Amino acid sequence: MREKVLHLRNVIKRFGGRTVVDIKDITFGTHGIEGLIGPNGAGKTTLIGLISRKVSMDQGQILYYQDKNEMDISKKSLDELSRMGLVRTNQIIQDFESLSIRDSLLLSLANSKHEKFYNIFNEKELRKNTEKEIEKYLDYFNFEDPDGHALSAGEKKLLDIIRCMVLKPKFLLMDEPTAGLPHDQTDKVIELMKKKTKEEGMAILIVEHDLDLIWTVSENVYFMSEGEILIKGTPDEIRKNKTVINKYMGESEC
Amino acid sequence: MEQLFSGYMIYSLSFLLIFIALATILHLQFSIGGIVNFGIVGFWGLGMYAFALLNLKLNIPFVPAVLLASALTGIVSMALGRIILNLDDQAVLVGTLAFATIIEYLATTEKWLTNGVMGFGTIKFPFDLGANTLFVYFLVVLVFLILLMFYVSKIKTSPYGRLLLSIKDNEILSQSLGKPTFRHKIIFFTVTCSLIGFFGAMTAPLYNYIFPRMIGPGITFTIWIALMLGGRKKLLGGFIGILATIGLFDYVIETVVPIPTQYAEMVPNVKFALYGLTLMLVLMFRPLGILGDKKREVKG
Repeated sequence: MREKVLHLRNVIKRFGGRTVVDIKDITFGTHGIEGLIGPNGAGKTTLIGLISRKVSMDQGQILYYQDKNEMDISKKSLDELSRMGLVRTNQIIQDFESLSIRDSLLLSLANSKHEKFYNIFNEKELRKNTEKEIEKYLDYFNFEDPDGHALSAGEKKLLDIIRCMVLKPKFLLMDEPTAGLPHDQTDKVIELMKKKTKEEGMAILIVEHDLDLIWTVSENVYFMSEGEILIKGTPDEIRKNKTVINKYMGESEC
Repeated sequence: MEQLFSGYMIYSLSFLLIFIALATILHLQFSIGGIVNFGIVGFWGLGMYAFALLNLKLNIPFVPAVLLASALTGIVSMALGRIILNLDDQAVLVGTLAFATIIEYLATTEKWLTNGVMGFGTIKFPFDLGANTLFVYFLVVLVFLILLMFYVSKIKTSPYGRLLLSIKDNEILSQSLGKPTFRHKIIFFTVTCSLIGFFGAMTAPLYNYIFPRMIGPGITFTIWIALMLGGRKKLLGGFIGILATIGLFDYVIETVVPIPTQYAEMVPNVKFALYGLTLMLVLMFRPLGILGDKKREVKG
């Protein structure tokens, strides 16, 4: 067990009159890789949106722990969260059409010190300082043309994940990270996730419909249904749980 | 051909340099920063009027007056930016257009300060070198234009330029990578608008006498047309575009081509009609302008 990274208390989100998310008390980040599963409409994406500030909260508290400090993140903006180490990958493909794959990673690795209107001569310095890191990823994932644009949906999705990884987040939310990726790349992403959580202390929360992935990578799984997190446990406990089988996987044990 | 080399040529060329600078700043704002500034003339006019007032009414010397006028344009654009820059492109377009109109109206209505439609002067050059004054001033403007072009060319391959492109392409994604995009946009807008104000101040001595009709929306439209024509994504797009519009009509045709007097007054009207026609043809056959690629880039 690790220290918790996120603590949600009485978090409620309503759309119209319908309560979409209603979480009493839950902590994330106590295991390296955690999974969040549940049937369609359970509120998983809304929950991720609440944590990453894409969706505003109606009520409740989301606390983030960094170096033993407790912070309420409900008033923080998206970019502040990212700088604090709370980052999410996108479910829907997102890209910068003017930037090549390498540019995208350079953007991700540049910090506010590099990005000043009066400082336009620091490109070489940035490239030199980040070359190793960028090459490592480019080699690992075998991009066809790193100085061109990400062309296929798979490449864009992969680039999205790498952009987040190079930020070295403390807590990474991954919304369907492997949907649309070829198998060999999926395996590489999984291996990378495992490495990051073990060696760099990153905590990852995955939302996924691909249950095989959840069972193989997660150390801890949350089951969500009708806006509430009903059960949490190890993958084995969850897949054998009666409620989960009834509400999600149907009677046919899979 | 004699008049080509006369003082009038230097005078016209100085104006061309100013407009090339404005088109280059617009290229920076629009094609790199993604800000649709339809009020260039407002910032330019503000810089020009502020400079003239400081210089003539408060007797502030040339250089500090230019710097103060640029700073004032920057401060005003920062205030405007705070209001409009977190809105969408159309709102920014309308906001900046409205801003330019307000400046034009203020220059007209605040008679106690600006002498209304009559205008005021005389604005002198910062130095007096006899017959060479204008030529030396032209060289000064040229140096600033070259510095500007160098800056813009450098920005394109710098981390700052990459940041601006990322905001233009996908602001939310840029935010999610930890970039405070709204703050960056305001700073960028402030800096680039104060540059426009700077070139506005530098224009004042060339006009000598300034009045509100000079800062009408026609200038904004001409610069936009020039940039679209030349190639909005290229550093030299503004340069080529200004030569092909203002350069061709206001200088070559008006000074060099012998037009019979009875047709002379038609030129300005025909000019705008031809601008429009050229722009349509360019957008149809070369959407990215003379310097741009033939077709739009195919998105991956």
